[in-house]
Amino acid sequence: MIEVNDLRKSFKAVHALRGVSFTAFDGEVTGLIGPNGAGKTTTLRILYTVLTPDGGSAAVDGFDVRANAREVQRRIGVLADARGLYPRLTSREHIRYFGRLHGLKGAELERRIDRLIDMLDMGAIADRPAHGFSKGQSMKVALARALVHHPPNLLLDEPTAGLDVASARATRALIRRIRDEGRCVLFTSHIMQEVGALCDKLVVIGDGLVRANGTPDELRRSTGKADLEEAFMSATGTGEK
Amino acid sequence: MFDRVWVVFCKEVIDNMRDRRSVSLALLYPFLGPLVVAALIVFVGKSITSAPNATFILPVQGEANAPELIEYITTKGALVVPAPKDPALAVRTGKFDTALIISDDYGEKFDRERQATVHLVVDGSRLSAVIAMSRALDALRDYNRDIGTARLEARGLDPNLSVPLAIEQINVSGGRNLTGFFLNMMPPFLIFTIFVGGVYLAIDTTSGERERGSMEPLLTNPVARWELMVAKVAATFVFTAMAVAVQLVAFKVMFNLITGGDFGLRVDLGFWLFASVFLICLPLMLFAVTLQVIIATVTRSFKETQTYLGLLPLVPSLPGLVLVFVAINAHPWMMAIPTFGQTLLIGQMVRGEPLTGLSIVVASGFTLAASLGLLALAARLYARDELVFTG
Repeated sequence: MIEVNDLRKSFKAVHALRGVSFTAFDGEVTGLIGPNGAGKTTTLRILYTVLTPDGGSAAVDGFDVRANAREVQRRIGVLADARGLYPRLTSREHIRYFGRLHGLKGAELERRIDRLIDMLDMGAIADRPAHGFSKGQSMKVALARALVHHPPNLLLDEPTAGLDVASARATRALIRRIRDEGRCVLFTSHIMQEVGALCDKLVVIGDGLVRANGTPDELRRSTGKADLEEAFMSATGTGEK
Repeated sequence: MFDRVWVVFCKEVIDNMRDRRSVSLALLYPFLGPLVVAALIVFVGKSITSAPNATFILPVQGEANAPELIEYITTKGALVVPAPKDPALAVRTGKFDTALIISDDYGEKFDRERQATVHLVVDGSRLSAVIAMSRALDALRDYNRDIGTARLEARGLDPNLSVPLAIEQINVSGGRNLTGFFLNMMPPFLIFTIFVGGVYLAIDTTSGERERGSMEPLLTNPVARWELMVAKVAATFVFTAMAVAVQLVAFKVMFNLITGGDFGLRVDLGFWLFASVFLICLPLMLFAVTLQVIIATVTRSFKETQTYLGLLPLVPSLPGLVLVFVAINAHPWMMAIPTFGQTLLIGQMVRGEPLTGLSIVVASGFTLAASLGLLALAARLYARDELVFTG
């Protein structure tokens, strides 16, 4: 479970977050949506501990991101905004590296790596160096290394961006599967169709503030728009007034 | 903690080992110093330290004016050749190392036992001309003394009357003569290698990691940032130490080969000396590596990092280059300056001078303390948001 309370963050003169609050529950997919520059990625970055908040609090399974960063890191799997790979390491070595950083080793780690390679259908690239991987292939490696320690919480920054249809479908299937295992998934997206099809809850962010919060149906109802995209435009104030 | 540092360290080492081109280049680089010194010894050293009985070419103008003198200096090894039209020009342009001009009134004055004049054309700015010049000068002085002695004896006087001083040189350079000059070149080259040997890894593991977009995912793992930093410093340290070791071996092999050849060079630098030099360098390697990681952390891009780190090695090498030509009296406080202390210590070691324990303790202690201070600074810099997101 992820709890965010009155989160604030500024970069010099830019107020990226001006008091964001929401909760993402276990067994649910929560979509963090909003226009470019709304603060989605900043919120995720604070949650996955690469940025420190200026004010407010954020906690994962009750552990504060500032006071207990190590505990938070043990409980999250992250597909960060930057998802660079090491060109000279193979897919398998990428997954193994992150697994070992989570304290996994030996046969247990190798078993998990094999299962992820199988699950993400990456057999063909498992033992190839990452140099020259396509966007879809890189994404699979990045996802696999985020999942190797079986994290109870998943933070995914635009997991389907730039993927072809088949890869995007596979990724969505994976997200559902993780949700069905009772884990907490928080992800950002731009594609309203995807959000509508995948999310149990939506958090609409605009200008560093939460503009709307609830199920897709609740959002449609509160904005009076039948189409989710229209509802989104209305909630963020980017639509026709 | 050690588990996590070890995991990151191993990954960095393996990753870097696969970068064949960078690794082989980094291990070829250290050969440059020994090669330069070897070339200097072969080309310059040979002309300076040639055997005392070898012949040297001496162009003479007015040869006919002093047949006795010519005969004398020929027995002293001079190969007399006719002088060009303008001897001064010939020496200035390097056609000849030196030239002798015998004045036209030489014969007349010599016969009347008056002071006769000869001119020796020299170029003091050319190191390679020194040998011919001093051989010619010695031959002329010997002739001067012999004739003077004969003239005094002919008058029944003690020849020593005109030579109040008997000058005997005592050579203190450990019997190595010019060798010391070449040995002095080792410290600056070593310091340079210490600051260059692993620099590509310092850049790749921090600036590179950031630019490649792999820093952000890495930081989401349950590893303290200072642990990541320590692992990266350790990996860079290992490759720096490798480069320094390669250079020391290259120096040893080079000196062995040269000593075997006919270059008038006598060096006896044993294995333990090289091992001790390596140990003396260890704290400085930590200093250099941490400095590199700090620079790679605060700079905004790969390119900027490369610019700074490309210039960095020149600064600590400069004092060593100066010391090749100028000897200084090493005070213990100088040992406290990282890089300068080691430059002095390595210089003393290779020249075979006795080391004091105090110097070693001060040099190593202060450099180690400075390195730990830099490590603490690096840890603080690694903890900032700016590690990933540069302003």
